[in-house]
Amino acid sequence: MMTSSLIWLTPLLPFAVGLAMLLVRDRRILATLDVAGSLAVLGLTLAIAGRVVQGGPVSALGIFRADEVAVLFLLLIGLLAVAVSLATLGWVRHELARGQMRPERLPYYYALVHGFVATMLVTVLADNLGILWIAMEGTTITSALLVGFHGDKHGLEAAWKYIIVTTIGISFGLFGTVLVYGAAAHAQGGVLAGAMNWSSIVAIAPRLDPGIIRIGFIFVMVGYGTKAGLAPMHMWLPDAHSQAPTPVSALLSGALIKCALFGIIRFHTIARAACGPGFSQGLLLTFGLVSVVVATPFILAQHDLKRLLGYHSVEHVGIIALGLGFGGGLGTYGALLHVINHGVTKALVFLVAGDVIGRYGTRDMRLIRGLLGIAPLAGTLLLMGAFSLAGTPPFSIFISELMVIQAGIAAGRYVMVAAFLVMVVIIFAGLIHHVGQMVFGTAAASASRERELPMPMLGLLLLVAAMVLLGVYLPARLDRVLARATEIIVG
Amino acid sequence: MSVELATRLIDVLGALLLFSTLLILAAGQLFRAIYAVAVQSVFLAIAGAVLGAATGNPDLWIIAGITVVVKAVLLPWLLIWVVRRIQIPREIEPVIPINATLALAAGIVVLAFRLAASLGPVRQAITGNALPVGIALILLGVLVMASRRKALVQMVGLFASDNGIFFTAMAVSQGMPLIIEIGVILDVVLGALVMGILVLRVRSSVDTDIADLEDLRG
Repeated sequence: MMTSSLIWLTPLLPFAVGLAMLLVRDRRILATLDVAGSLAVLGLTLAIAGRVVQGGPVSALGIFRADEVAVLFLLLIGLLAVAVSLATLGWVRHELARGQMRPERLPYYYALVHGFVATMLVTVLADNLGILWIAMEGTTITSALLVGFHGDKHGLEAAWKYIIVTTIGISFGLFGTVLVYGAAAHAQGGVLAGAMNWSSIVAIAPRLDPGIIRIGFIFVMVGYGTKAGLAPMHMWLPDAHSQAPTPVSALLSGALIKCALFGIIRFHTIARAACGPGFSQGLLLTFGLVSVVVATPFILAQHDLKRLLGYHSVEHVGIIALGLGFGGGLGTYGALLHVINHGVTKALVFLVAGDVIGRYGTRDMRLIRGLLGIAPLAGTLLLMGAFSLAGTPPFSIFISELMVIQAGIAAGRYVMVAAFLVMVVIIFAGLIHHVGQMVFGTAAASASRERELPMPMLGLLLLVAAMVLLGVYLPARLDRVLARATEIIVG
Repeated sequence: MSVELATRLIDVLGALLLFSTLLILAAGQLFRAIYAVAVQSVFLAIAGAVLGAATGNPDLWIIAGITVVVKAVLLPWLLIWVVRRIQIPREIEPVIPINATLALAAGIVVLAFRLAASLGPVRQAITGNALPVGIALILLGVLVMASRRKALVQMVGLFASDNGIFFTAMAVSQGMPLIIEIGVILDVVLGALVMGILVLRVRSSVDTDIADLEDLRG
């Protein structure tokens, strides 16, 4: 098959699967469609990745484009889709058993998840910056319905804050897009075909008016930054990520906020060429450091397990922004690697957390004790995930955080690196304290001692494998994709 | 239509757009805010038609038509339908006093014009004062959303912000590609529908305004 057909087929497939699901009533068929659909998405993303590694970037229909940067995000979405689908098998069973989900609403749930995945795929495949924006807002619409899916008061409150804050936020992104497009049209002396495409704007970026690009990038940074959960526009994130159904939390934290960063990266590349690296990197550094600093006290003082993970995502998007902001080959490479590492790890920990909350019937970490005793596998995974999130070797996040720090030192940003290190150490202590108390000790008699199911665990093991593997060994092909993606961004 | 005339008309329409957002900010009643954003959308559509006539780009006429149907009729009608359906009190209780909000609004408008004046030759690519008006409308929309704790008024603020983006987008060169504008409008409609669903679901289950819920903290 032509690579360009693969590109438009990739988002179309989950969209079609989602529509088909609306017609299905049988639970087993729905679950099979879910897993099969996600596996097909992973297959398509791997196929695109293979072609791009061999033959370089590919365009399709004049509005889509798969280059090495897109491939990284595609692979992350594909991998998480499969892992989340497998974990959903166990989650749905529990939700139905506990009466949280009415069986007749299942088709809508599955269909929305696939629609959500489809919009994320369009986001990272878009070459046209308008399409990128439309898809990004599409992710908000589909995932807001998922955040409020259970219809309880807290879920609806979180869904409202989520949709209203990110929609107004992302409209700043649209305004920034309009300004960049205006600058490009001005530089070309008229509207040419593909004038809104990232690839054609980047090609003429050095000729763009730096004044208007600066204002445009500020709007984009605030807009897409809101959606990425960068502080101080992050207020919706802990609510939405903690109130969403667990598999959706995993996708929101693991993949969606990375898609928003993808938007920032695209505009960062344009702004770098138009106004020099200093301007956009400075903004990224500011937002990145603020995110890490703001998240720290909330992580320490948190009692709600899923909120803890939400604030942790604010910290980690901050780290990615810092990596991009320190810049250079190393910082950008580290930031991109961190996108994958954090995506995989955070999805894992959210899925385990959902299982834990189901067992104990509470999300208050003070009431969760002795997980290792009643669910050895989940306990081990939670402990591993927490150490990884905290940035301990031999897990993958350690490697990418180290790169970001080295890039900061190389860039001579000693004060920022020092502040960052202090926060990381504090967060390490806080996180290990929280998780240690949950994992060790004796569980209350009321906690469910139900056996751990093999199929959902398979999804978790997939993520653990990626997390551990990337910590000790970076496959040569992935390294090549990362290196080329870095070249695309910093030239 | 000559370029000079178009520029003058766009500047007049920009002033009218700004004035309608100020009306939204000053509105003490929900319906007034909704009518103000509907009228604003009509001004936006006229701006699209003026630019369509000036540039000879038929896409802008189509966008003007869609703007009337969707933003001046459909979305306000949706808001009014929700208001009637849930019978909420129609007075708007501002978080900040209305006078203070208007003073802030004046500051925002001045700031937007100063920012745009600092730009160089690229301003020629955007007709008249569409750039500062657009920036001001977006920020004023945010001000509406931040200063009112009522879900439907927050939606009105959102629509007013969107109108600002569209105004600038129409005035850039020959407007954005038609297909993109349609996609954006589709997103706005779908987003508004989902917001409407959320508002109705909260009303039916806990009988409060969704924007008033604040259990999630810390």
